[in-house]
Amino acid sequence: MDNHSSVPMIELRHVNKHYGDLHVLRDISLSVRKGEVVVIIGPSGSGKSTLCRSINRLETIDSGEIFLEGEPIPREGKKLAELRGQIGMVFQSFNLFAHMSVLDNITLAPVDVLRKGRKEAREEALQLLERVGVRDQADKVPAQLSGGQQQRAAIARSLAMHPKVMLFDEPTSALDPEMIQEVLNVIAELAKEGMTMLIVTHEMNFARRVADRVIFMDGGQIVEENTPDRFFSDPESQRARDFLHSLHAE
Amino acid sequence: MKTGNIRDFLYEPPGPRTQKRIRIITGIALLGLLALLGLIVRQFSVTGQFDTKYWSFFTKWTTWRFLGQGLLTTLEAALTGSAISFTLGFLLMRGKFQGKTVRGISAFLIEFTRGVPTLLFIYFFFLVVPKTGWKPSAFWKITLPCAISACGVVAEALRSGVNAVPGGQREAALSLGLSERRTFYRIVFPQAFRYVIPSLIAELVIVLKDTTFAYVVSCAELMQNAKVLISNYDAMLSIYLVVAVIYILINYLLNTLSERIAGSQRRSVQMIPEANKGVAAHG
Repeated sequence: MDNHSSVPMIELRHVNKHYGDLHVLRDISLSVRKGEVVVIIGPSGSGKSTLCRSINRLETIDSGEIFLEGEPIPREGKKLAELRGQIGMVFQSFNLFAHMSVLDNITLAPVDVLRKGRKEAREEALQLLERVGVRDQADKVPAQLSGGQQQRAAIARSLAMHPKVMLFDEPTSALDPEMIQEVLNVIAELAKEGMTMLIVTHEMNFARRVADRVIFMDGGQIVEENTPDRFFSDPESQRARDFLHSLHAE
Repeated sequence: MKTGNIRDFLYEPPGPRTQKRIRIITGIALLGLLALLGLIVRQFSVTGQFDTKYWSFFTKWTTWRFLGQGLLTTLEAALTGSAISFTLGFLLMRGKFQGKTVRGISAFLIEFTRGVPTLLFIYFFFLVVPKTGWKPSAFWKITLPCAISACGVVAEALRSGVNAVPGGQREAALSLGLSERRTFYRIVFPQAFRYVIPSLIAELVIVLKDTTFAYVVSCAELMQNAKVLISNYDAMLSIYLVVAVIYILINYLLNTLSERIAGSQRRSVQMIPEANKGVAAHG
């Protein structure tokens, strides 16, 4: 038995969070295996984004523990920064550094955090940009790119750190409809290559296509965990049924 | 999206009737101003302010050299003072983002320096500081108080710039494994600084104008030298007029510079909320 692979890539144990009186994460326990693609869906305000952001501690939690490959992720300090560097994160609003070229966006962390040589970082960055299809935009500033191009560059920026796992926090919600597919294709490609991923999304067809497991959240709780086929055709919980029904009714 | 004047957002463009009214009122106002100017010139000539004795010394090279030396000192004091106030302001701004005690001290110092008039700081350096045994030169007696007086405003300007940088920029840097410190210096502050360049130049203008208080400590800057000329030639109005024009020219240059920089910022980086919405701008 390979003992190592039995350690989950990400594990949350009894995570709780409140915003004032609002209990946004209710005793969340969850684990993601190496190479697994987990998609979180749920109505807005269900806490799915908060859950995603709490994993690398961009969102503080009130209680509970979070592990990356069995190693607890601390609340602050050097160790936190180091572990964050191993967790890629893609945001709804891209968050490319506005004052730098696309290329510099990507080489920044490898040079600054991993202490790579500039030349090496640059070559790798160009390869990554090629891979996500925006190599020809490398010398522009982010504002000159379309939303879809920005998001693909942001994915390349995360990949440059060689993360063990990628978190996607509604990566296509801020995009114009015609740009959504190009970003989803890049993510699907990563899934095929075996990247461990946790994806918060509203794109149901995409979820069904790439997910190994679907997690349905509502009211700060994990209501249902299921295979994508079962979840979308015959969900166990009434709340998931209602949610899927409301989508079709639109 | 084209960034326009704030006026364009607040008011709708005037219609034909309003335009006509604006033209009429502008005409009347211009005529009024011309009349006022004429009156001033007339009074000057009646009271003999245009007599050659009040103006002839401007043909002498030594007069201009004297004023030029004063101007150099003024610029030196303004630039040194600004450099010091930007440094102090930066430290105070950093203090505002630290733990409770440091934040409290910084907040107090910012309010204190913003609230006390520059002239009081100058008198402090003129009357109190020498008694401690430290005797700064006249140059420092004007430069330091001007710097201290400005640093609180600079700190607040920098802080507003830092707060204007979208939180996502910081989050993205942290998520890549950068430390809080590196995130601030590599990502947040460079963007914040670009936002506040116009405010900082405006502050430079204020420091420059504050240096005219140098007569208190007899530092030989432009204003002080002008006063010397006035007592030498017994010609107040002509000299004040010329010196005023010099101050206006310099401050006008600084303001033009600041607008240039602000304009080029808008063109090259654009304001970030727009960039983050991903409005396609191929070019």
